[in-house]
Amino acid sequence: MSTRPDAADPPLFIPVLLGTARRGRMSEHVASFVVSQLSKLPGVETELFDVRSLGLPTDDAGEQIKQPAFSAAVMRADALVIVAPEYNHGYPGLLKHALDSNLKEYIHKAVGIVGVSAGPWGGTRVVENLLPVMRELGLVTIFWDGNFSSVRKAFDPATGALLDESYVRRLAKFFQELVWMAKVLRHGRERIPL
Amino acid sequence: MSSRARVRCPQCGAEMNFHAEKLDPARGVDDPAADEALGGVVLEIHTCPACKFVLEREAR
Repeated sequence: MSTRPDAADPPLFIPVLLGTARRGRMSEHVASFVVSQLSKLPGVETELFDVRSLGLPTDDAGEQIKQPAFSAAVMRADALVIVAPEYNHGYPGLLKHALDSNLKEYIHKAVGIVGVSAGPWGGTRVVENLLPVMRELGLVTIFWDGNFSSVRKAFDPATGALLDESYVRRLAKFFQELVWMAKVLRHGRERIPL
Repeated sequence: MSSRARVRCPQCGAEMNFHAEKLDPARGVDDPAADEALGGVVLEIHTCPACKFVLEREAR
């Protein structure tokens, strides 16, 4: 299946959400790599959002604390990529806090999850733990994931340079499915009434 | 296929597509707009094919 859009279709917009604010986060390198690979796809526009920069207050939650630029991006989006490190088998609290700040913006949009771990499992547990959250938010998950295992070996921690080129091909499969789902759901949101 | 009247986009005026209903997780049965049988407030989601604006409103 080609990721090439039909000539008449406007570009797909697929923002990437970096889901951790921790110092020394390797997920930042993963998110940069995801953005760079997404940018190369024809007919796809992307932008990086970072939970560290959203400036969300922590004395309230949900749609009351919407961050205007992030909400506008999600509203415009056709799909979303979440880069989530696995912390004690779970997702970062700040990622959930950011996700909860929108609702209508997500409905019937595709989402792909990229798990990141220092160990060998590529964030599979954080991916699995995020699935029920995605469902409740109205997002539609795909069956390819990004899994970055032993992330300190996949990227140079100092420069962020990719050290394992196999991730290019792995992400290509993930994007192929995400773009397909994004196109289908865009058609549904815009053309198929309930 | 829905027979309900189409909503006009408040942003650009195009005809929106009503494609989802969702229970509001934050509003329970005590809300005056709640549907008791469903246990909360049902929201309609409309998307504008022209400008991508998403409209949410209580189900009617």
